Amino acid sequence: MNVVELKSVTKRFDQFIAVKDLSFEVRQGTIFGLLGPNGAGKTTSIRMIVNIFAPDDGDVLVMSKQVSPELQPFIGYLPEERGLYKKMKIGDQLVFFANLKGVSSSEASRRVDDWLKRLELSDWKNKKPTDLSKGMQQKVQFIGSIIHNPEVMILDEPFSGLDPVSVDLLKSVILDLKQQGKTIIFSTHQMEQVEQMCDDICLINHGRQVLSGSLREVKRRYGKNTVILDYEGTDSFLGVDLVKQHKRFANYSEILLSDGADAQEVLRRALEAGARVNRFELVEPSLNEIFIETVTGSKNRAQVAEAAR
Amino acid sequence: MKKVWVIIKREYLVRVRTRAFAIGTVISPLLLLGLIILPGFLAQRGGGGERYVTVLDQSGDPDLFAGLKSRVESKNDSNSDEEFNSSTRFVLTRQVVTAEQDPRELIQSQSSGSGNKGPDKAFLVLGPKILDDVPPEYHAKNLSDFSIRALEGAVSATIAERKLMRAGFDASKIGQYMKPIDLKQFKIGAGGESTEGGMRQDFMVAFALLFFLYMSVLFYGIFVMRGVIEEKQSRIVEVVISSVKPTQMMLGKVIGIGLVGLTQIGIWALSAGLLSMFGAKLFASQGGRVPSIPLNLLVYFVLYFVLGFFLYATLYAMVGSTVSSEEDAQQAQFPVTLLLVVPMMIFGLVMSNPSSTSSIVLSMVPFFAPTLMMLRIAVINPPAWQVLLSMAIMLATILGFVWLSAKIYRVGILMYGKRPNLAELGRWLRYN
Repeated sequence: MNVVELKSVTKRFDQFIAVKDLSFEVRQGTIFGLLGPNGAGKTTSIRMIVNIFAPDDGDVLVMSKQVSPELQPFIGYLPEERGLYKKMKIGDQLVFFANLKGVSSSEASRRVDDWLKRLELSDWKNKKPTDLSKGMQQKVQFIGSIIHNPEVMILDEPFSGLDPVSVDLLKSVILDLKQQGKTIIFSTHQMEQVEQMCDDICLINHGRQVLSGSLREVKRRYGKNTVILDYEGTDSFLGVDLVKQHKRFANYSEILLSDGADAQEVLRRALEAGARVNRFELVEPSLNEIFIETVTGSKNRAQVAEAAR
Repeated sequence: MKKVWVIIKREYLVRVRTRAFAIGTVISPLLLLGLIILPGFLAQRGGGGERYVTVLDQSGDPDLFAGLKSRVESKNDSNSDEEFNSSTRFVLTRQVVTAEQDPRELIQSQSSGSGNKGPDKAFLVLGPKILDDVPPEYHAKNLSDFSIRALEGAVSATIAERKLMRAGFDASKIGQYMKPIDLKQFKIGAGGESTEGGMRQDFMVAFALLFFLYMSVLFYGIFVMRGVIEEKQSRIVEVVISSVKPTQMMLGKVIGIGLVGLTQIGIWALSAGLLSMFGAKLFASQGGRVPSIPLNLLVYFVLYFVLGFFLYATLYAMVGSTVSSEEDAQQAQFPVTLLLVVPMMIFGLVMSNPSSTSSIVLSMVPFFAPTLMMLRIAVINPPAWQVLLSMAIMLATILGFVWLSAKIYRVGILMYGKRPNLAELGRWLRYN
């Protein structure tokens, strides 16, 4: 079942088209990665799902119904731009957020206690945000977005500014929620986290969808076109005809092959040039590579199309 | 509606619980009360000091000086409050000067050099033809002193008295003839009945109400604006509007803060009512006078506060939503605050002529109505239709501005950076 569905959604601001004919589906109980460079239209898309904006064209469905204020209690939203009331106690703020979603105060304060305990913030319940570190505030904001036990959670850069321990804690909470059948839409620039957590992804650029599907399928689509080569010696053997992109790291090289190039040819030339090869591996590209490739590629295509006009 | 209530509750409780609220509620009426009572109190204590006046007498009439001296001294003692500042005690000394001498030279020689008695030294010149309509002269370093009016009155009365005696009137009766007459003042009330009152008392009450209304609307209006900016700056808006409509958020804020204002005003009105009932005697015995505020004025005050606050608060909320920082807000809020300040600059016009066409028209303008109509109600009793019409116009304006502000607000709260110009604001109205 699809919990969130966008059908040919378009959103304009004056002349500017923020989202153009965008469609994607989010299956229940999955983690969905909504990806894209800055200004691609992610936030606008998310704001349409949480009913802050209405689309100019197309449909936004949540739990198979057009989004409306009635559906807001079923959605939890942690925006990228987020904050807390400076002069209000943490506990009171969280109860306020729960109240806004229709949770009674007594039920809310019980849940607040549970969540604060789980995220190791119990001692801070009666403190004001100014007494908390940025990371702690972040965790409070996270609680605020899920305190009403929503079916769909939209988390925009949930880990930014958190230390590794807190990131791990939050990740386990998110995966736990997924286990309970909740659906999570995850927007971030951290591709490693997407690779770790997401089932499906949708990559958008300039308001349009450029890539979508299950993470596994997307990566398979790109095939094993990347060579990891650990060698000693000169890299002069790598001809321009073989290599699309060559990234040298401290102990190895990541070589993205040109279309149709044979990986074995790389190995043959390396040996011919007298380099000592310690490791040779043919792998799928990282999501990071796919992201950069797709975004710059679509930009180039857009420029070509622009020039052709 | 339940969500609006949640917001109202937050806005209200967060503010009423602060120390600033408690202090503001107690301090401001005390300040105003001080302003009302203090002048009378000071006059009672005769805090004005003594003024030494050398009378350069060329009249050759010792009785003139004697009459003047006794009149001034009786004035010093009588403690009448006809003059605003009669608290200065005049001490007169006579210096006989011949008609040939130039009094100005004498003044110059006495004011400069070692014989200088200080800044308070003043001279009164009574010329040789003082009884033939040559006016007396007053020379002093300080002329910006209201108490000179008291001296002027005494000199004028004494000269008139001497003239009457010269014309052959019975000296013993002159005092009786010349007794000043007080205009007894009565105010015609709503039911046509007259009650004794005075311009001073009406002025005090009207001004206090006007001032408090202005301050309250301004203060709480700015409160709303700052609340909106705080929510923008702390980036909390997006969290909130994923749960409620921006319009609900705005209304909740305006109503919540309005209730804080009403709470404060309620406390003030109650204290004013109690003061009028029980406090007047207490203060009267202390020499101060506490004007009593009729109950219906307090009711009107609350009504016009609610209307005025709603009108200005929606405007301030709109302004707050379009800016990203307090600094930007300083500029952006200027036109709104100006609308509120204008009536404070022209209220004298309305007060002195509350029934004129211009006063009626001004008090109908929705932005001025809360202050100017309130003023007219305090000074005269305007016909009921005028009061109701002003309220109706305000209500219609408020509804219009709530609609407009809501449209701007829902876009503005998500916009950061450059302040939008009017054309951009116009385009915002068309967003879905």
